[in-house]
Amino acid sequence: MPVRRLLALMTAFLTTTLTVMALASPTHAADTLRLGLLRTLSPAPFYIAQERGYFRDQGIDLSFTFFQAAQPIAAAAVAGDIDVGVTALTGGFFNLAEKGTLKVIGGALHEEKGYQGSAILVSKAAYAAGLTSLDKLPGHSVAITQYGSSFHYMIGRIAEAKGFDIKTVTLRPVQQIANMVAAVGSGQVDATIAIASQAKPMEAAGQAHILGWAGDIVPYQITALFTTTAMTTQKPDLLHRFAKAYQRGVADYRHAFLRLDAQGNPIVDSAADAAIPAITAYVFTGDPDARAKILQGVGYYDEGGALDVADVTEQIKWFRAQGLVKGDMDPASMIDTRFLPTR
Amino acid sequence: MPRLDGPVPFRGGGFAPQSRAWAAAATLLGLIALWQAAASAGAIPTLFLPPPAAIARALWHLTVSGELWKHLSASLSRLAVGWVLGTVFGILTGIAVGLSSALRSPAMAVVSALFPIPKIALVPLFIIWFGIGEGSKLATLGFGVFFPTVIATAGGVDNVSRGLIRMGQSFGLSTWEITRKIVLPGALPAILSGFRVTSSIAIVLLVAAEMIGADRGIGAFVLSAGNLYDTDNLLAGIVLLSALGLTVAWLIGLAERALLRWR
Amino acid sequence: MTAGLRLVLDKVGHAYDDMTVLDDISLTAEPGRVTVLVGPSGCGKSTLLGIMGGMLAPTTGTVCCQGEVAPDCLNPLTYVFQDFALLPWRSVAGNVALVLEGRLSRAERADRVREVLALTGLTAFADAWPRQLSGGMRQRVGIARALAVRPACLLMDEPLSALDAQTRALLLDDFAALIERSGTTTVYVTHNLAEAVRLGHRIVVLSRRPGRIREIVSIDRPLSDRRAGDADLAAMEAALWDMIRDDAAAAERDGPVSGHVSA
Repeated sequence: MPVRRLLALMTAFLTTTLTVMALASPTHAADTLRLGLLRTLSPAPFYIAQERGYFRDQGIDLSFTFFQAAQPIAAAAVAGDIDVGVTALTGGFFNLAEKGTLKVIGGALHEEKGYQGSAILVSKAAYAAGLTSLDKLPGHSVAITQYGSSFHYMIGRIAEAKGFDIKTVTLRPVQQIANMVAAVGSGQVDATIAIASQAKPMEAAGQAHILGWAGDIVPYQITALFTTTAMTTQKPDLLHRFAKAYQRGVADYRHAFLRLDAQGNPIVDSAADAAIPAITAYVFTGDPDARAKILQGVGYYDEGGALDVADVTEQIKWFRAQGLVKGDMDPASMIDTRFLPTR
Repeated sequence: MPRLDGPVPFRGGGFAPQSRAWAAAATLLGLIALWQAAASAGAIPTLFLPPPAAIARALWHLTVSGELWKHLSASLSRLAVGWVLGTVFGILTGIAVGLSSALRSPAMAVVSALFPIPKIALVPLFIIWFGIGEGSKLATLGFGVFFPTVIATAGGVDNVSRGLIRMGQSFGLSTWEITRKIVLPGALPAILSGFRVTSSIAIVLLVAAEMIGADRGIGAFVLSAGNLYDTDNLLAGIVLLSALGLTVAWLIGLAERALLRWR
Repeated sequence: MTAGLRLVLDKVGHAYDDMTVLDDISLTAEPGRVTVLVGPSGCGKSTLLGIMGGMLAPTTGTVCCQGEVAPDCLNPLTYVFQDFALLPWRSVAGNVALVLEGRLSRAERADRVREVLALTGLTAFADAWPRQLSGGMRQRVGIARALAVRPACLLMDEPLSALDAQTRALLLDDFAALIERSGTTTVYVTHNLAEAVRLGHRIVVLSRRPGRIREIVSIDRPLSDRRAGDADLAAMEAALWDMIRDDAAAAERDGPVSGHVSA
């Protein structure tokens, strides 16, 4: 009876799989916490805090869950796969937050005057054809990842700052950051926004021109720390301890990378070299140029992991005005400021 | 000796399912009604699975705001041009493969090697080759349609009775006449059933094609709604894609009925 | 008929790979006469017919045409096929018109189609699809198509063998009348000896493989005088059967070989 044998085989397979899965899943200790993040340089203070045992000191067994893209991190929190996350504030994030299940609890990366975070990068051809300043952007094409992304928001705020309508630029969603840079490099689009570690080498190689830095024009909260509403109500104590460890990481990070000298240039000393191994445990692992890449790519974090509440409120308003975020929830109710300071 | 008395037991029948159009429609409508009822009763959380009424509302808003037509016209023109390009070149190649010994093995080798490649993976290459505009989108659709069309056409040509071709030769018909009047009509049933496959492939690839650099189009709309976790519009877009597929299948059915009356 | 086409075969031989199917066939198909090829299955009758019409190249020997062809003849050597070879996607009239397209004006074509359909009793079926016709009717279309090109020589490859006995008997009489009336040179392949004696002026008996000419029998009575079951024809049929019975039995044991024009 081949059918019966097949059924028996399938049953045996299923039983084995379930047993293995049951054995493989770790037993939950009281204070485990799962953090969702991108494997990039931007969550560096978390790497430092983790490697230096600051979470352990708070009695937290923190595990990192890495994602390929920013959007799914918020979705994973809603689905219960992670407890806290650090992600870009985007239309998608706010739409999920509108459902009342997410709360922003602290700041992370911030575009800041004087710190070279995100550059407005212009293709060689467009520059030669006269796109030499930001107010000339109207009529040009700009690559972004997706509608409602941080890049879309930055362009929108730059348009406001420079006094033109965002509708006068042609937005080209190309899904991935690598595609945006490639599109400018190959002249497929006129401009895009690129982080310093990508923009600077392209300008140095003569492949593109940097027209300015987002932090100088529109300082804003680019990424933030968030958790679920359930966590804030059920485990506030755990979050408080988590926030303390995070603040130590931020303090170390700021000391290592964000001190400027009198001329506004970053001070690089033994503090930076001491922090780098904690970062290379997660990114640029084994890369001989890791040190240079980290020094070129570090972004600004506010003191104490502070959250720019005014800016987050502004972002929500902007996304709503663009029709990218629906709903009329009070922005304040998407934010919980009990755990970390505000800016 | 054992005896066998009484009427012969009936053992035939069955194994002949009949299509019932009303049952198909009723099933779909029933499922939608059940879904709506469950959502209204609170059995399905509407937080992340919008009920049919919310999807219908999103579709209505799209229609009255003119957004629907904007996206639909962009997608339809891409689908039409990309599909026609892939189909025309596919049929020409398929006939060449089916008739020419010189082309058969080389072309089939290339087709067999390239057919299984997911065209979505080639999108970045198409952008470098054909640009970020319509070129790469049409290329994605065209390539996706081309290979199955070649295979369907070549198979159809192979199945054209050699007897009919010999008949054509015996009456002194030229190669071109034989191709046009015997081979092509003979392969038409296979080509048309290939259309069913390629039109679905084209709709699937539409989303991939509109991933890069498209500001309008149903695919771009679905992707954008997905990225924004705008679930009402996401499902509205999916309903549109599904309706597009049903419409195209219906049109192909009409074409089959018109062109294959002789069967 | 003094004018007309004579087909002369000189020492024709044919082999598929290294299997010889025909050997040293020298034969003349006289103008206006019906030459019937009979023999056990696998003797190469159909192969020989293919060679005579230029559909197969003989391995050795030559086939020549001699004589005059009427000015309105469009295809001097014209086949009638065992499996009819009708295009299923063309109507009866369309199948006949196929072999006239590009050679006659639209009006001439319509006249010619009407004429041959009337001749074969198909006028009422001009718009029918082949699938709607019985086997006998389909072969009438095959005959009509062959007559439409005003052939100088008709090459008929077992045209009745796919039909049932009743249809065959009826169509046989029609063939006799049509052939006599058209006065074309005719070569008729059959394995049915009753057909051979009913239609043949000369009956060429081939031996089993490799096919050689074993005997040529002449019947001088005009076709219009002959009736199925005539005593002399029955005697002739019996004599032919005596000639090939042993070969046929031997061929049966060897198994048939495929050597069909339309295979």
